[in-house]
Amino acid sequence: MTEIYKKLENIVTKKFISNSLIVRHAYSRVVDPLLQGIPDIVIRPKDAKEISEILKVANEENIPVVPRGGGDDEFGGSKPIGDGGIVLDMKRMNNIVNLDEDNLIVTVEAGISWGKLNEYLCHFDLYTGCMGPGSGMTASVGGGISHQSVGGGGCAKYGSCTNQLVSLEVVLPNGDIIETGSQANKYSQVPFNRFGNGPDLAGLFCGDNGILGVKTKISLQVFPRPPYAAYKTFVLPRKDREVSSQIMLDVRRKGIDVYDLMYIMGIIVLLGSEFGMMPMWEHLKKNRGIIFYTVEANSEAELEEKVKQLDEIIVNNKCDPIGPEISDGNIAKWHYAEQGHWQFYHNLWGVVPALEPLSCECFVPANMYPKYLNEIDQWDMAHSEDLNKFTKITGQRPVSGSGPIFLIDGNNVELTCGFTSFPSYYNGEIHEEFDEINLRLWKSYMEMVTKWGAQWYMMGQMASQMMAELEAYLPDYYKTLKAIKKTLDPKCILSRGKFNFWGD
Amino acid sequence: MTELKNLKNEWKAIMSCMGCGDCGYSIRRAVGRYLTCPVKEAKGEEGFEIYFSRGRMNVLKSVLEGKLPLSRELAEFVYQCTECANCTEVCHETHNENIILNTSKWIDHYKVWDALRKDLVEAGFAPLDRHKDLVDYMNNDAMKNPYGEDFAKKYEWTSDFSNIKDKGDLVFFAGCTMPLRQQDTLKNMMNILIAAGMEMALSKEEWCCGSIGARIGEYKSVEKLMKHNIDIFKNMGAKTVFTGCAGCYRTLKKDYPEILGEELPFEVKHITEVLVDLLNNNQIPFKSEEGEKLKVTYHDPCHLGRHMDLYEIPRELIAKNSWC
Repeated sequence: MTEIYKKLENIVTKKFISNSLIVRHAYSRVVDPLLQGIPDIVIRPKDAKEISEILKVANEENIPVVPRGGGDDEFGGSKPIGDGGIVLDMKRMNNIVNLDEDNLIVTVEAGISWGKLNEYLCHFDLYTGCMGPGSGMTASVGGGISHQSVGGGGCAKYGSCTNQLVSLEVVLPNGDIIETGSQANKYSQVPFNRFGNGPDLAGLFCGDNGILGVKTKISLQVFPRPPYAAYKTFVLPRKDREVSSQIMLDVRRKGIDVYDLMYIMGIIVLLGSEFGMMPMWEHLKKNRGIIFYTVEANSEAELEEKVKQLDEIIVNNKCDPIGPEISDGNIAKWHYAEQGHWQFYHNLWGVVPALEPLSCECFVPANMYPKYLNEIDQWDMAHSEDLNKFTKITGQRPVSGSGPIFLIDGNNVELTCGFTSFPSYYNGEIHEEFDEINLRLWKSYMEMVTKWGAQWYMMGQMASQMMAELEAYLPDYYKTLKAIKKTLDPKCILSRGKFNFWGD
Repeated sequence: MTELKNLKNEWKAIMSCMGCGDCGYSIRRAVGRYLTCPVKEAKGEEGFEIYFSRGRMNVLKSVLEGKLPLSRELAEFVYQCTECANCTEVCHETHNENIILNTSKWIDHYKVWDALRKDLVEAGFAPLDRHKDLVDYMNNDAMKNPYGEDFAKKYEWTSDFSNIKDKGDLVFFAGCTMPLRQQDTLKNMMNILIAAGMEMALSKEEWCCGSIGARIGEYKSVEKLMKHNIDIFKNMGAKTVFTGCAGCYRTLKKDYPEILGEELPFEVKHITEVLVDLLNNNQIPFKSEEGEKLKVTYHDPCHLGRHMDLYEIPRELIAKNSWC
C-alpha cells in the first residue's frame, strides 16, 4: 500500500491525501447508524485530470474507489462497502465555473453544495428551481445528480434535480474524461442543451449512484425566482392519507404549477407535539395529518388566482386552514421562507437520544401511497416483537412510518418512509443484537417497499443490493445494466459492490 | 482501551449526531448562515472532515464502539478545534421556538470536545507539547499565567490606580490577558469605572483563572488554581466578582462550580453586566452628546455568547450609549 499511496500522493500532493486511521474513520459513515466501511485512503482531488490519474492507478492496482459529495446519503452510498479502498472527497471541487446569464445556465464543479450555489444565484435573482435534496444546504450538486434527488424544495414544480441538467463532465472509471449534451460537439461554445448529438449519455449518469463515472463539472438550467409566493398549511380531516392523496391528484388535474405540496401523517403531528418537537402544532386537533403548499407567481393577480384555485381544492376536501404565521403552525412558511429543511423528515429523528433513521425513501404514484402507508402499519405490527426489544433497553420503541410525503413531477410522490431506531452503542453499553435486528428489519422493510414496485432513487449499498438480491430487476434490464458497467468499468473500480457488481 | 468516563457521559450527543454535515458545509441564506466551522474554513482546500464536527463525531462513535482507541494522533486533530461552538449554533439553528429539532436538547458539541480532551489527558495523550508549556506556566509559582510572564508583571498596570482597595464587596478579577497583552483597554475600562464612582477591590495574589487548563482538559492542575482564587475572593469579602475577560468569565461562572462541585460563595459578572447597571443608574458621566455618532461593531466572544448565552446585555449596553 505504501507504493500505491506514493503514486496517489504524487498526483494530488501530500496535503490532499491521508491514510491516517483517524481521518479514515471520519469518512467511514454516512447518515444511517448501521453501515460502516473504513477506507484505506481518503483523497481530495482538485479537478477532473487528477481524478482521471487516480482512477488509472486504481485500475492498475485493482483498488475500489467511492466518490463522496456531501456525505448525506442514507443507504451507505458514499463510504466503502466493507472496509478498504479509496474515498474521493469531492468537496474540494466546490467552485462556480460560469454563469451564462443570457441562456440561464450555470456551470459548477460537482462538489459544490446546493446551498452555496443557490446563495450565489440569488444575487442574480435566480435559483435552481428544484433546490436539490432535502439535505440541500450541505449536499453536493454531484451527489444530487447521482441520485435523482428531490426534497430541498421546488420538486412539485421542477421535478427531480436531474430534470434541469444540461451537460456533464464525467471521468469514466478508466480515466477517460467525456462531456455530454451540447458539449459533446467540440465546436460548441457554451453548454446549452442536454439532448441531441445522439443518445442522452448524460442520462446514463443521472441516478447512477456513482457506479458509472465521477461527475466533475455540471451545467444546470437556472430560473428567475418569481417575486411572489404564498405558503399555506391545512389540517386534514379524518382519513388524512386518502384525502391528501386526492388533493395531490386534484392539483395535478387542475394543472396548477404548485411549487411544493407536502403531506405529513397524523402520527407525526401527534408524536411531534408530544415530544416537544413541534410546539407550533400543540394547539391542533391530535392525530390529524397536515398538508401544506407553496406556490409562486410573477404578479399579485397571478398569485391570487393560483391561491384561490389551490384553496378551493383543499377546502373542498374538508381541510381547515391554519393561520399564516409559523407560530400558528404554518410549516409551509418555515419551509420556504426560512429554508427549513430535512431535519423534520425521517420519522421524528432525534426525538429521544440516539434515535436515528433507517430510511426507505422512494418514489411511488400519488394515488397509491395511502395503501402503502397502511401496509407500513401492518409491517410495524408484524415486527412488533423485534421492535419492542429496543424498548426494554432504551425505554422507547422505534418509530416506523413516513416523514413528509411530497409531490414531485408527474403524479408521483416521494415517500420518505422507513423507521428510526437505536444504534448498538447505547448508554455505555454495546448491544450487538441491535445491529442484527436493525439490519434484519431494514431489509424486511426494503423488501416490502421494493415489492410495491416503488422506485428507489438514492440506492447506495442497501437498496441497490436489495434490488439485485430480490431479483426485482427484469432479468434483461439487469443484464444490460451489468453489461454497461462491465464495459465502462471492467474491474468494477467505482463503488464496488453496489447493485452486487463486484470486480474480476 | 481507556475508561472513557467523560466521553461516555456525552454518549447522547455523539450517538444522536446523524451526520448531516451542516456543521461543516451548510449555507442557509434565509437565516444568515454563511460560515460553518472556522477551522475547516481556515484549512481551506486541506479541510478533511476530521477538522469539523461531523468527522469528529464519526470518529467518536468508533471510539465508543471500541473500534478505535484514543491516541496522540487523535489528540493532534482534536486540539485544532477552537471550541467556538459555531457547530452547535448551526446544528441547533434549524429549529426555532416553533419547530425544535430535539437533538438540540442533547447535542452541545463543545461539551463533547471538553469530555474528549479530559479523557485524552487522563489517558496520557494530552496535553500536547505546546499546550504543556502553557499549563506549566500557569502552574509555575513565578508566573501563574499562561503567557510565561513574571508574576509581578501582571500588576504593573495598577501603579496608575492607587485608589483600588484590597478588600470589598465588589472584586475585580483582572485575569492574565488584559494585564499582560491589553493594558490600554484595561486602563480605559478602569478609568470608566472610577469615573462612575465605583469602589472596587483587587487582589495582587490572584492566579490565572485556569481557563487554558480547563479547555485543554487538564483539570487536575486547574483545581488548585480555582481553590486558591476562591480563597482569595472569600478573604477579600467578595459578594460579586467581575471580569473583563470572556474566557475568565466562563471559567469562573461555569467551570468553577462544575469542577469543584459546589456553589460559589459570590456572584460572578462580566464587565458588560456591571456597565449596563451603571448606565441604567445614570452613573457614567458622559461629557457631551454632540458630534458625529460612532458606528460600533460588536463581536460576540465565543465564551460569552455561545458558551454562556450572554448576548443581550452587550447589545443593551451599546444601545443605551447616546453617542452611538
